[in-house]
Amino acid sequence: MKLRTHLLAFALITASVLSLSIVKPAAAADLSDEQLGRIMSNCLSIKGSLNQLHATDALLRVNRGQIYESIGTKLMNNFNARLSNNSLDNKGLVAVAQSYQTAQTTFRDDYRSYEQQLSAALRIDCTKEPSVFHDSVESARIKRATVHSDVLRLHQYIDDYRTSVNDFMLNFDRVTGNN
Amino acid sequence: MEDHPIKIPEEVELGFWGQHRFMLLIVGTIAIAFVMVSVSVFIYYASGSAQLDLSRPGLKSVSDKVDRTNTVTDYNAFGPVTKDTVKTFTDMYDSQAKKAKAVDAFNGDPLNPDVLEFGDPATSTE
Repeated sequence: MKLRTHLLAFALITASVLSLSIVKPAAAADLSDEQLGRIMSNCLSIKGSLNQLHATDALLRVNRGQIYESIGTKLMNNFNARLSNNSLDNKGLVAVAQSYQTAQTTFRDDYRSYEQQLSAALRIDCTKEPSVFHDSVESARIKRATVHSDVLRLHQYIDDYRTSVNDFMLNFDRVTGNN
Repeated sequence: MEDHPIKIPEEVELGFWGQHRFMLLIVGTIAIAFVMVSVSVFIYYASGSAQLDLSRPGLKSVSDKVDRTNTVTDYNAFGPVTKDTVKTFTDMYDSQAKKAKAVDAFNGDPLNPDVLEFGDPATSTE
């Protein structure tokens, strides 16, 4: 009985080790020899393109980040504070502003992750490790798409806040009797 | 007159650390500096400051292209709330919102293997 249990455990461990060793090369095997050859031969130009993208994305991050930051801190927060100082109901606006701040934090974190991944890809020698380079670029590609979706979410919250301001004004006009 | 010999105090024998205290000071200073620099560099990268630093190698070409014209004035958090004050806010907000949404940042797929010219010709759409 004990021997059977040992055998079963051994078989399970062997199976999992084997499956792991099969899965890993399969990911690398996605690339054809032609693709690997192309990566190696175009290594210099690919790296040039990536370097250019790295620089333009960094500039985009700085310029966009400034605008997103100023909308949150200089406009949304101050308007919410003004309503609060006048004891007016600003719950809806505060909720959108908080969601906006959270989306901003996500944007910052996702961009950092993407930039680190792209930098890591740039450090890989694509003439020697084409498949590792390919995987790294692919990972950066996914992370860049995430950053784009974060940007779209921020734009959505910017619109939502504006809608909430309109709602507030409607309510304000109704309460103060200004029509 | 009697001549009194000058008494020289006996030399105190120093231990290992006493004998090497100058070396210890230098090594200690270097070690503290190393630890502090390591912590600073870690914070620099972990906080996201590195991503905003356009003076890094490879990014100098774009460092002079930072938009310094977009100066947003703070909306005053104090004061009455009237139709006019809200109108002032919405004008400021709309102007900034327009700028924010003018660029669909990070769109497209520049890291697509086909764009980077190492895609699989069999699956390539072009």
